[in-house]
Amino acid sequence: MLEVHKLSVSYGKHTALRDVSLRVDRGEIVVMLGANGAGKSSLLKACAGLVAKHENTAIALSGKDLTDLAAHRIVEAGLALVPEGRGIFGDLTVRENLELGAFAKRARTSEKDNLERVMTLFPKLSERLDQDARTMSGGEQQMVALGRALMSNPDILLLDEPSLGLSPIMTGDLFKALAAIRNTGVGVLLVEQNAHQSLAISDRGYLIENGAITGQDTALALQSDLAVQKAFLGLATA
Amino acid sequence: MLSYAVFSGITLGGMYALVAMGLTLQYGVSRIMNLAYGELVIVASFAAFVLMTSAGINPVIGLLIFIPASFALNWAIYRILLSPLVARAKNRGMLEVDSILATFGLLFIVQGILLVWFGGNYYSYDFMNGAVDVFGAAIAANRLVALGFALVFGLGFYLVLTRTRMGTALRAVAVDPQSARLVAIDVNFAACFAFALGGAMAAVGGVLVSMFLTFSTSMGVAFTMKALIVVIMGGVGNMLGALVAGLILGIAEALVATYIDPGLTIAVTYVIFLLVLLIKPSGLFGRTVS
Repeated sequence: MLEVHKLSVSYGKHTALRDVSLRVDRGEIVVMLGANGAGKSSLLKACAGLVAKHENTAIALSGKDLTDLAAHRIVEAGLALVPEGRGIFGDLTVRENLELGAFAKRARTSEKDNLERVMTLFPKLSERLDQDARTMSGGEQQMVALGRALMSNPDILLLDEPSLGLSPIMTGDLFKALAAIRNTGVGVLLVEQNAHQSLAISDRGYLIENGAITGQDTALALQSDLAVQKAFLGLATA
Repeated sequence: MLSYAVFSGITLGGMYALVAMGLTLQYGVSRIMNLAYGELVIVASFAAFVLMTSAGINPVIGLLIFIPASFALNWAIYRILLSPLVARAKNRGMLEVDSILATFGLLFIVQGILLVWFGGNYYSYDFMNGAVDVFGAAIAANRLVALGFALVFGLGFYLVLTRTRMGTALRAVAVDPQSARLVAIDVNFAACFAFALGGAMAAVGGVLVSMFLTFSTSMGVAFTMKALIVVIMGGVGNMLGALVAGLILGIAEALVATYIDPGLTIAVTYVIFLLVLLIKPSGLFGRTVS
Protein backbone atom coordinates (compact mmCIF):
# COMPACT_ATOMS: atom_id res chain seq x y z
CA MET A 1 0.00 0.00 0.00
CA LEU A 2 1.32 3.42 -1.03
CA GLU A 3 0.58 6.21 1.41
CA VAL A 4 1.30 9.82 0.53
CA HIS A 5 0.91 12.27 3.39
CA LYS A 6 0.94 16.07 2.95
CA LEU A 7 3.10 16.08 -0.15
CA SER A 8 4.23 19.57 -1.20
CA VAL A 9 6.54 20.39 -4.09
CA SER A 10 7.89 23.75 -5.26
CA TYR A 11 9.93 24.77 -8.27
CA GLY A 12 11.61 27.98 -7.15
CA LYS A 13 8.78 30.29 -6.04
CA HIS A 14 6.12 28.34 -7.88
CA THR A 15 4.23 25.81 -5.76
CA ALA A 16 3.30 22.79 -7.84
CA LEU A 17 1.71 20.65 -5.09
CA ARG A 18 0.22 21.64 -1.74
CA ASP A 19 -0.44 19.11 1.04
CA VAL A 20 -1.52 16.31 -1.25
CA SER A 21 -2.50 13.12 0.59
CA LEU A 22 -3.61 9.92 -1.06
CA ARG A 23 -3.55 6.15 -0.78
CA VAL A 24 -3.18 3.36 -3.33
CA ASP A 25 -3.80 -0.25 -2.24
CA ARG A 26 -2.40 -3.31 -3.96
CA GLY A 27 -4.81 -4.77 -6.49
CA GLU A 28 -6.61 -1.56 -7.34
CA ILE A 29 -6.40 1.08 -10.03
CA VAL A 30 -6.60 4.64 -8.78
CA VAL A 31 -6.89 7.42 -11.32
CA MET A 32 -5.78 10.99 -10.76
CA LEU A 33 -7.79 13.34 -12.95
CA GLY A 34 -6.73 16.91 -13.59
CA ALA A 35 -6.05 19.47 -16.28
CA ASN A 36 -2.64 20.27 -17.75
CA GLY A 37 -0.44 21.90 -15.13
CA ALA A 38 -2.56 20.75 -12.18
CA GLY A 39 0.47 18.99 -10.71
CA LYS A 40 -0.17 15.39 -11.77
CA SER A 41 3.31 14.76 -13.18
CA SER A 42 4.95 16.45 -10.19
CA LEU A 43 3.03 14.12 -7.91
CA LEU A 44 4.34 11.00 -9.62
CA LYS A 45 7.88 12.37 -9.93
CA ALA A 46 7.90 13.24 -6.23
CA CYS A 47 6.78 9.71 -5.32
CA ALA A 48 9.54 8.26 -7.55
CA GLY A 49 12.19 10.46 -5.95
CA LEU A 50 12.89 12.58 -9.03
CA VAL A 51 11.97 15.99 -7.54
CA ALA A 52 12.61 17.52 -4.13
CA LYS A 53 9.77 17.56 -1.58
CA HIS A 54 8.95 19.90 1.30
CA GLU A 55 10.00 18.90 4.79
CA ASN A 56 6.66 17.84 6.29
CA THR A 57 6.00 15.40 3.44
CA ALA A 58 5.83 11.69 4.23
CA ILE A 59 5.65 8.89 1.64
CA ALA A 60 5.54 5.25 2.66
CA LEU A 61 5.17 1.96 0.82
CA SER A 62 3.78 -0.92 2.90
CA GLY A 63 5.08 0.81 6.02
CA LYS A 64 8.58 1.48 4.61
CA ASP A 65 9.49 5.17 4.55
CA LEU A 66 10.35 6.31 1.01
CA THR A 67 10.43 10.06 1.65
CA ASP A 68 14.18 10.62 1.53
CA LEU A 69 15.27 7.67 -0.61
CA ALA A 70 17.15 8.17 -3.89
CA ALA A 71 15.23 7.27 -7.05
CA HIS A 72 17.02 3.95 -7.62
CA ARG A 73 16.30 2.83 -4.05
CA ILE A 74 12.61 3.62 -4.43
CA VAL A 75 12.43 1.19 -7.37
CA GLU A 76 14.19 -1.33 -5.15
CA ALA A 77 11.50 -0.79 -2.52
CA GLY A 78 8.75 -1.72 -4.99
CA LEU A 79 7.56 1.46 -6.64
CA ALA A 80 7.96 1.74 -10.43
CA LEU A 81 7.24 4.80 -12.56
CA VAL A 82 6.45 4.88 -16.27
CA PRO A 83 7.20 8.55 -16.92
CA GLU A 84 5.52 10.89 -19.34
CA GLY A 85 7.07 10.34 -22.76
CA ARG A 86 7.80 6.74 -21.72
CA GLY A 87 11.52 7.14 -20.93
CA ILE A 88 12.57 3.95 -22.69
CA PHE A 89 16.16 3.49 -23.88
CA GLY A 90 15.73 4.15 -27.59
CA ASP A 91 19.19 3.01 -28.65
CA LEU A 92 18.88 -0.31 -26.83
CA THR A 93 16.86 -3.28 -28.01
CA VAL A 94 13.50 -4.26 -26.60
CA ARG A 95 15.13 -7.24 -24.89
CA GLU A 96 17.77 -5.00 -23.28
CA ASN A 97 15.10 -2.58 -22.12
CA LEU A 98 13.21 -5.41 -20.45
CA GLU A 99 16.38 -6.88 -18.95
CA LEU A 100 17.22 -3.52 -17.44
CA GLY A 101 13.76 -3.45 -15.94
CA ALA A 102 14.94 -6.38 -13.84
CA PHE A 103 18.14 -4.58 -12.78
CA ALA A 104 16.69 -4.11 -9.29
CA LYS A 105 17.83 -6.84 -6.89
CA ARG A 106 14.24 -7.45 -5.81
CA ALA A 107 13.44 -8.48 -9.41
CA ARG A 108 16.31 -10.89 -10.09
CA THR A 109 14.82 -14.10 -8.75
CA SER A 110 11.47 -13.65 -10.50
CA GLU A 111 12.97 -12.31 -13.75
CA LYS A 112 11.97 -15.29 -15.89
CA ASP A 113 8.40 -15.38 -14.59
CA ASN A 114 8.02 -11.65 -15.05
CA LEU A 115 9.36 -11.81 -18.60
CA GLU A 116 6.81 -14.50 -19.40
CA ARG A 117 4.11 -12.36 -17.85
CA VAL A 118 5.07 -9.39 -20.01
CA MET A 119 5.17 -11.58 -23.14
CA THR A 120 1.69 -12.90 -22.38
CA LEU A 121 0.42 -9.40 -21.75
CA PHE A 122 2.02 -7.96 -24.91
CA PRO A 123 2.53 -10.82 -27.41
CA LYS A 124 3.64 -8.27 -30.00
CA LEU A 125 6.84 -7.59 -28.05
CA SER A 126 7.99 -11.21 -28.30
CA GLU A 127 8.36 -10.78 -32.09
CA ARG A 128 10.32 -7.55 -31.65
CA LEU A 129 12.79 -8.45 -28.92
CA ASP A 130 15.89 -7.69 -30.98
CA GLN A 131 14.62 -4.47 -32.49
CA ASP A 132 15.92 -1.08 -31.32
CA ALA A 133 13.21 0.40 -29.12
CA ARG A 134 13.21 3.77 -30.87
CA THR A 135 12.18 2.21 -34.20
CA MET A 136 8.82 1.05 -32.80
CA SER A 137 5.43 2.75 -32.98
CA GLY A 138 4.14 4.86 -30.10
CA GLY A 139 1.86 2.11 -28.83
CA GLU A 140 4.61 -0.49 -28.94
CA GLN A 141 6.98 1.85 -27.13
CA GLN A 142 4.39 2.28 -24.41
CA MET A 143 4.23 -1.52 -24.13
CA VAL A 144 8.03 -1.60 -23.73
CA ALA A 145 7.83 1.09 -21.05
CA LEU A 146 5.09 -0.73 -19.18
CA GLY A 147 6.84 -4.07 -19.62
CA ARG A 148 10.09 -2.63 -18.32
CA ALA A 149 8.33 -1.30 -15.23
CA LEU A 150 6.65 -4.67 -14.61
CA MET A 151 10.03 -6.41 -14.87
CA SER A 152 11.09 -4.61 -11.68
CA ASN A 153 8.43 -6.67 -9.88
CA PRO A 154 6.66 -3.64 -8.41
CA ASP A 155 4.05 -3.56 -5.66
CA ILE A 156 2.79 -0.23 -6.96
CA LEU A 157 2.98 1.04 -10.52
CA LEU A 158 2.83 4.76 -11.35
CA LEU A 159 1.79 5.73 -14.87
CA ASP A 160 2.06 9.25 -16.26
CA GLU A 161 -0.45 9.76 -19.09
CA PRO A 162 0.18 6.46 -20.86
CA SER A 163 -2.53 7.20 -23.44
CA LEU A 164 -0.79 10.35 -24.67
CA GLY A 165 -0.30 10.14 -28.44
CA LEU A 166 -2.03 6.77 -28.78
CA SER A 167 -5.05 6.03 -30.96
CA PRO A 168 -8.33 5.23 -29.12
CA ILE A 169 -7.96 1.56 -30.05
CA MET A 170 -4.38 1.43 -28.75
CA THR A 171 -5.50 3.20 -25.59
CA GLY A 172 -8.25 0.62 -25.14
CA ASP A 173 -5.75 -2.24 -25.46
CA LEU A 174 -3.39 -0.55 -23.06
CA PHE A 175 -6.08 -0.02 -20.43
CA LYS A 176 -7.18 -3.64 -20.77
CA ALA A 177 -3.59 -4.62 -20.01
CA LEU A 178 -3.66 -2.35 -16.95
CA ALA A 179 -6.78 -4.10 -15.68
CA ALA A 180 -4.99 -7.44 -16.12
CA ILE A 181 -1.97 -6.11 -14.21
CA ARG A 182 -4.25 -4.96 -11.39
CA ASN A 183 -5.73 -8.45 -11.20
CA THR A 184 -2.28 -9.89 -10.47
CA GLY A 185 -2.25 -7.85 -7.26
CA VAL A 186 -0.26 -4.81 -8.37
CA GLY A 187 -1.59 -1.41 -7.32
CA VAL A 188 -1.78 1.16 -10.11
CA LEU A 189 -1.79 4.94 -9.78
CA LEU A 190 -2.80 6.32 -13.14
CA VAL A 191 -2.51 9.96 -14.08
CA GLU A 192 -4.73 10.78 -17.04
CA GLN A 193 -6.54 13.43 -18.99
CA ASN A 194 -8.55 10.78 -20.78
CA ALA A 195 -11.18 10.59 -18.04
CA HIS A 196 -13.72 8.54 -19.94
CA GLN A 197 -11.59 5.48 -20.66
CA SER A 198 -9.56 5.65 -17.45
CA LEU A 199 -12.56 5.86 -15.13
CA ALA A 200 -14.02 2.82 -16.88
CA ILE A 201 -11.17 0.60 -15.64
CA SER A 202 -10.46 2.33 -12.33
CA ASP A 203 -11.66 1.45 -8.85
CA ARG A 204 -11.28 4.87 -7.29
CA GLY A 205 -10.32 8.34 -8.38
CA TYR A 206 -8.99 11.67 -7.13
CA LEU A 207 -9.51 15.10 -8.64
CA ILE A 208 -6.57 17.49 -8.62
CA GLU A 209 -6.68 21.23 -9.33
CA ASN A 210 -3.89 23.80 -8.97
CA GLY A 211 -1.73 21.42 -6.99
CA ALA A 212 -4.34 20.34 -4.44
CA ILE A 213 -6.76 17.42 -4.19
CA THR A 214 -10.31 18.74 -4.62
CA GLY A 215 -12.30 15.54 -4.51
CA GLN A 216 -12.20 11.77 -4.30
CA ASP A 217 -14.69 8.98 -4.75
CA THR A 218 -15.21 5.57 -6.32
CA ALA A 219 -14.78 5.50 -10.06
CA LEU A 220 -18.47 4.69 -10.48
CA ALA A 221 -19.55 7.72 -8.48
CA LEU A 222 -17.10 9.99 -10.29
CA GLN A 223 -18.48 8.85 -13.64
CA SER A 224 -21.94 10.08 -12.69
CA ASP A 225 -20.73 13.19 -10.84
CA LEU A 226 -21.97 16.26 -12.68
CA ALA A 227 -18.93 18.39 -11.94
CA VAL A 228 -16.61 15.66 -13.20
CA GLN A 229 -18.74 15.19 -16.27
CA LYS A 230 -18.52 18.89 -17.03
CA ALA A 231 -14.82 19.21 -16.37
CA PHE A 232 -13.46 15.98 -17.84
CA LEU A 233 -16.08 14.04 -19.75
CA GLY A 234 -17.03 16.81 -22.14
CA LEU A 235 -20.68 16.97 -21.10
CA ALA A 236 -22.06 20.21 -22.49
CA THR A 237 -25.05 20.80 -20.22
CA ALA A 238 -26.00 24.01 -18.47
CA MET B 1 57.65 -4.09 -46.99
CA LEU B 2 53.90 -3.81 -47.51
CA SER B 3 53.07 -6.55 -45.05
CA TYR B 4 55.42 -4.91 -42.54
CA ALA B 5 53.74 -1.53 -42.96
CA VAL B 6 50.26 -3.01 -42.71
CA PHE B 7 51.18 -5.04 -39.66
CA SER B 8 52.74 -2.16 -37.75
CA GLY B 9 49.71 -0.10 -38.78
CA ILE B 10 47.37 -2.68 -37.29
CA THR B 11 49.40 -2.74 -34.07
CA LEU B 12 49.37 1.04 -33.80
CA GLY B 13 45.69 1.16 -34.76
CA GLY B 14 44.88 -1.45 -32.12
CA MET B 15 46.49 0.81 -29.50
CA TYR B 16 44.52 3.83 -30.73
CA ALA B 17 41.30 1.85 -30.62
CA LEU B 18 41.95 0.53 -27.13
CA VAL B 19 42.81 3.95 -25.73
CA ALA B 20 39.83 5.53 -27.51
CA MET B 21 37.41 2.96 -26.08
CA GLY B 22 38.29 4.08 -22.57
CA LEU B 23 37.85 7.73 -23.48
CA THR B 24 34.47 7.18 -25.11
CA LEU B 25 33.33 5.27 -22.02
CA GLN B 26 34.35 8.15 -19.75
CA TYR B 27 32.67 10.68 -21.99
CA GLY B 28 29.56 8.66 -22.84
CA VAL B 29 28.65 7.32 -19.42
CA SER B 30 30.32 9.67 -16.94
CA ARG B 31 29.84 12.77 -19.14
CA ILE B 32 33.41 13.80 -18.34
CA MET B 33 35.50 15.21 -21.17
CA ASN B 34 38.84 14.10 -19.75
CA LEU B 35 41.68 16.19 -21.18
CA ALA B 36 44.17 14.50 -18.83
CA TYR B 37 43.36 11.12 -20.36
CA GLY B 38 46.56 10.87 -22.39
CA GLU B 39 48.65 11.76 -19.33
CA LEU B 40 47.29 8.68 -17.60
CA VAL B 41 48.32 6.62 -20.62
CA ILE B 42 51.86 7.96 -20.29
CA VAL B 43 51.92 7.47 -16.51
CA ALA B 44 51.26 3.78 -17.16
CA SER B 45 54.07 3.70 -19.75
CA PHE B 46 56.50 5.11 -17.19
CA ALA B 47 55.22 2.80 -14.50
CA ALA B 48 55.90 -0.17 -16.79
CA PHE B 49 59.36 1.26 -17.50
CA VAL B 50 60.21 1.63 -13.81
CA LEU B 51 58.94 -1.84 -12.98
CA MET B 52 60.96 -3.39 -15.80
CA THR B 53 64.21 -1.48 -15.30
CA SER B 54 64.33 -1.37 -11.50
CA ALA B 55 62.63 -4.60 -10.48
CA GLY B 56 63.00 -6.62 -13.66
CA ILE B 57 59.28 -7.44 -13.69
CA ASN B 58 58.04 -7.60 -17.26
CA PRO B 59 55.09 -5.42 -18.35
CA VAL B 60 52.74 -8.34 -18.99
CA ILE B 61 52.93 -9.25 -15.31
CA GLY B 62 52.90 -5.52 -14.58
CA LEU B 63 49.40 -5.34 -16.06
CA LEU B 64 48.15 -7.38 -13.10
CA ILE B 65 49.27 -4.54 -10.83
CA PHE B 66 48.52 -1.60 -13.12
CA ILE B 67 44.93 -2.46 -14.00
CA PRO B 68 43.60 -2.49 -10.41
CA ALA B 69 45.92 0.40 -9.46
CA SER B 70 44.73 2.64 -12.28
CA PHE B 71 41.13 1.66 -11.60
CA ALA B 72 41.58 2.78 -8.00
CA LEU B 73 43.45 5.95 -8.99
CA ASN B 74 40.75 7.00 -11.45
CA TRP B 75 38.06 6.12 -8.94
CA ALA B 76 39.76 8.52 -6.51
CA ILE B 77 40.12 11.23 -9.18
CA TYR B 78 36.40 10.99 -9.87
CA ARG B 79 35.38 11.01 -6.21
CA ILE B 80 37.71 13.82 -5.15
CA LEU B 81 38.06 16.07 -8.19
CA LEU B 82 35.01 15.43 -10.34
CA SER B 83 32.02 14.49 -8.20
CA PRO B 84 31.79 18.00 -6.68
CA LEU B 85 31.49 19.27 -10.25
CA VAL B 86 28.82 16.68 -11.04
CA ALA B 87 26.89 17.68 -7.92
CA ARG B 88 26.85 21.37 -8.75
CA ALA B 89 26.26 21.09 -12.53
CA LYS B 90 22.75 22.12 -13.46
CA ASN B 91 22.93 20.46 -16.88
CA ARG B 92 25.16 18.42 -19.13
CA GLY B 93 26.71 21.43 -20.87
CA MET B 94 27.82 22.92 -17.58
CA LEU B 95 29.43 19.65 -16.48
CA GLU B 96 31.27 19.42 -19.80
CA VAL B 97 32.75 22.90 -19.45
CA ASP B 98 33.68 22.33 -15.79
CA SER B 99 35.22 18.93 -16.43
CA ILE B 100 37.26 20.22 -19.37
CA LEU B 101 38.72 22.97 -17.17
CA ALA B 102 39.35 20.67 -14.21
CA THR B 103 41.00 17.90 -16.24
CA PHE B 104 43.00 20.51 -18.15
CA GLY B 105 44.46 21.47 -14.79
CA LEU B 106 45.00 17.82 -13.90
CA LEU B 107 46.93 17.42 -17.17
CA PHE B 108 49.53 19.98 -16.05
CA ILE B 109 49.80 18.51 -12.56
CA VAL B 110 50.45 14.99 -13.88
CA GLN B 111 52.79 16.23 -16.59
CA GLY B 112 54.66 18.37 -14.06
CA ILE B 113 55.19 15.46 -11.70
CA LEU B 114 56.45 13.28 -14.57
CA LEU B 115 58.83 16.04 -15.71
CA VAL B 116 60.31 16.39 -12.23
CA TRP B 117 60.93 12.67 -12.02
CA PHE B 118 61.91 11.77 -15.55
CA GLY B 119 62.84 15.00 -17.34
CA GLY B 120 62.12 15.60 -21.00
CA ASN B 121 64.03 12.71 -22.56
CA TYR B 122 62.67 9.80 -24.56
CA TYR B 123 62.49 6.48 -22.75
CA SER B 124 62.22 2.86 -23.79
CA TYR B 125 63.12 -0.54 -22.42
CA ASP B 126 64.01 -3.93 -23.84
CA PHE B 127 61.22 -6.45 -23.80
CA MET B 128 60.95 -9.35 -26.28
CA ASN B 129 62.95 -7.61 -28.98
CA GLY B 130 63.49 -10.72 -31.08
CA ALA B 131 61.98 -10.77 -34.55
CA VAL B 132 59.21 -13.13 -35.59
CA ASP B 133 58.38 -13.92 -39.20
CA VAL B 134 54.82 -12.88 -40.08
CA PHE B 135 53.85 -13.36 -43.75
CA GLY B 136 57.42 -12.73 -44.83
CA ALA B 137 57.93 -9.66 -42.69
CA ALA B 138 60.21 -9.59 -39.65
CA ILE B 139 58.07 -8.26 -36.81
CA ALA B 140 59.35 -7.63 -33.29
CA ALA B 141 57.80 -10.09 -30.85
CA ASN B 142 56.84 -7.26 -28.48
CA ARG B 143 54.53 -5.82 -31.15
CA LEU B 144 52.81 -9.18 -31.51
CA VAL B 145 52.36 -9.40 -27.76
CA ALA B 146 51.01 -5.84 -27.57
CA LEU B 147 48.61 -6.46 -30.45
CA GLY B 148 47.44 -9.73 -28.92
CA PHE B 149 46.68 -8.07 -25.60
CA ALA B 150 44.99 -5.13 -27.31
CA LEU B 151 42.69 -7.57 -29.12
CA VAL B 152 41.92 -9.49 -25.95
CA PHE B 153 41.19 -6.38 -23.92
CA GLY B 154 39.27 -4.65 -26.70
CA LEU B 155 37.12 -7.68 -27.38
CA GLY B 156 36.65 -8.43 -23.70
CA PHE B 157 35.63 -4.85 -23.06
CA TYR B 158 33.16 -4.94 -25.94
CA LEU B 159 31.63 -8.19 -24.71
CA VAL B 160 31.31 -6.91 -21.15
CA LEU B 161 29.51 -3.82 -22.40
CA THR B 162 27.13 -5.65 -24.71
CA ARG B 163 26.60 -9.02 -23.05
CA THR B 164 26.46 -8.42 -19.31
CA ARG B 165 23.82 -6.76 -17.17
CA MET B 166 26.34 -4.29 -15.78
CA GLY B 167 27.48 -3.40 -19.30
CA THR B 168 23.92 -2.90 -20.51
CA ALA B 169 23.29 -0.73 -17.46
CA LEU B 170 26.32 1.43 -18.34
CA ARG B 171 25.02 1.85 -21.89
CA ALA B 172 21.60 2.73 -20.51
CA VAL B 173 23.16 5.51 -18.43
CA ALA B 174 24.86 6.80 -21.59
CA VAL B 175 21.54 6.79 -23.48
CA ASP B 176 19.33 8.34 -20.79
CA PRO B 177 20.59 8.94 -17.23
CA GLN B 178 17.17 10.07 -15.99
CA SER B 179 15.45 6.87 -17.09
CA ALA B 180 18.33 4.78 -15.78
CA ARG B 181 17.38 5.85 -12.26
CA LEU B 182 13.88 4.52 -12.88
CA VAL B 183 15.21 0.99 -13.39
CA ALA B 184 17.07 1.02 -10.08
CA ILE B 185 20.48 1.93 -11.55
CA ASP B 186 22.59 4.04 -9.19
CA VAL B 187 23.66 6.61 -11.77
CA ASN B 188 26.33 8.23 -9.60
CA PHE B 189 27.94 4.88 -8.95
CA ALA B 190 27.74 3.94 -12.64
CA ALA B 191 29.42 7.21 -13.64
CA CYS B 192 32.24 6.65 -11.17
CA PHE B 193 32.63 3.02 -12.22
CA ALA B 194 32.72 3.91 -15.93
CA PHE B 195 35.30 6.62 -15.32
CA ALA B 196 37.51 4.21 -13.39
CA LEU B 197 37.08 1.48 -16.02
CA GLY B 198 37.95 3.95 -18.79
CA GLY B 199 41.04 4.96 -16.81
CA ALA B 200 42.04 1.31 -16.51
CA MET B 201 41.78 1.02 -20.30
CA ALA B 202 44.10 4.03 -20.62
CA ALA B 203 46.62 2.28 -18.38
CA VAL B 204 46.45 -0.93 -20.42
CA GLY B 205 47.05 1.14 -23.55
CA GLY B 206 50.00 2.91 -21.94
CA VAL B 207 51.65 -0.32 -20.83
CA LEU B 208 51.19 -2.00 -24.24
CA VAL B 209 52.50 1.04 -26.13
CA SER B 210 55.60 1.18 -23.92
CA MET B 211 56.51 -2.36 -25.02
CA PHE B 212 57.39 -1.24 -28.55
CA LEU B 213 57.47 2.56 -28.76
CA THR B 214 59.68 5.21 -27.21
CA PHE B 215 57.80 7.64 -25.02
CA SER B 216 58.38 10.93 -23.22
CA THR B 217 56.66 12.96 -20.52
CA SER B 218 55.17 15.34 -23.08
CA MET B 219 53.47 12.71 -25.23
CA GLY B 220 50.22 12.57 -23.26
CA VAL B 221 48.55 15.35 -25.20
CA ALA B 222 49.19 13.49 -28.45
CA PHE B 223 47.37 10.44 -27.05
CA THR B 224 44.44 12.54 -25.89
CA MET B 225 44.18 14.13 -29.34
CA LYS B 226 44.43 10.79 -31.14
CA ALA B 227 41.86 9.23 -28.85
CA LEU B 228 39.51 12.17 -29.37
CA ILE B 229 39.89 11.95 -33.14
CA VAL B 230 39.22 8.21 -33.08
CA VAL B 231 36.19 8.64 -30.83
CA ILE B 232 34.64 11.37 -32.98
CA MET B 233 35.55 9.61 -36.23
CA GLY B 234 33.99 6.35 -35.08
CA GLY B 235 30.88 7.98 -33.66
CA VAL B 236 30.75 9.18 -30.05
CA GLY B 237 29.92 6.38 -27.63
CA ASN B 238 30.27 3.65 -30.26
CA MET B 239 32.78 0.93 -29.33
CA LEU B 240 32.81 -0.72 -32.75
CA GLY B 241 33.30 2.70 -34.32
CA ALA B 242 36.33 3.33 -32.10
CA LEU B 243 37.83 0.01 -33.17
CA VAL B 244 37.36 0.61 -36.91
CA ALA B 245 38.46 4.25 -36.77
CA GLY B 246 41.53 3.34 -34.72
CA LEU B 247 42.58 0.68 -37.23
CA ILE B 248 42.00 2.96 -40.21
CA LEU B 249 44.17 5.69 -38.69
CA GLY B 250 46.90 3.27 -37.61
CA ILE B 251 47.19 1.60 -41.02
CA ALA B 252 47.03 4.91 -42.90
CA GLU B 253 49.78 6.37 -40.73
CA ALA B 254 52.02 3.33 -41.17
CA LEU B 255 51.54 3.29 -44.95
CA VAL B 256 52.29 6.99 -45.26
CA ALA B 257 55.33 6.71 -43.00
CA THR B 258 56.69 3.76 -45.00
CA TYR B 259 55.99 4.89 -48.56
CA ILE B 260 55.85 8.68 -48.47
CA ASP B 261 57.35 10.45 -45.46
CA PRO B 262 57.18 9.81 -41.69
CA GLY B 263 56.69 13.56 -41.20
CA LEU B 264 53.30 13.39 -42.90
CA THR B 265 51.60 10.99 -40.47
CA ILE B 266 49.88 13.72 -38.49
CA ALA B 267 48.78 15.44 -41.68
CA VAL B 268 47.23 12.25 -43.03
CA THR B 269 45.44 11.69 -39.71
CA TYR B 270 43.74 15.04 -39.97
CA VAL B 271 42.94 14.68 -43.66
CA ILE B 272 41.14 11.39 -43.00
CA PHE B 273 39.44 12.91 -39.98
CA LEU B 274 38.23 15.89 -42.00
CA LEU B 275 37.02 13.68 -44.86
CA VAL B 276 34.97 11.51 -42.50
CA LEU B 277 33.44 14.54 -40.82
CA LEU B 278 32.58 16.13 -44.17
CA ILE B 279 30.89 12.99 -45.47
CA LYS B 280 29.39 11.71 -42.22
CA PRO B 281 29.38 14.41 -39.52
CA SER B 282 28.18 12.03 -36.80
CA GLY B 283 31.10 9.64 -37.40
CA LEU B 284 31.45 6.31 -39.20
CA PHE B 285 29.05 4.44 -36.91
CA GLY B 286 27.37 7.45 -35.35
CA ARG B 287 23.68 8.05 -35.50
CA THR B 288 22.41 11.36 -36.79
CA VAL B 289 20.86 13.21 -33.92
CA SER B 290 17.31 14.17 -34.78
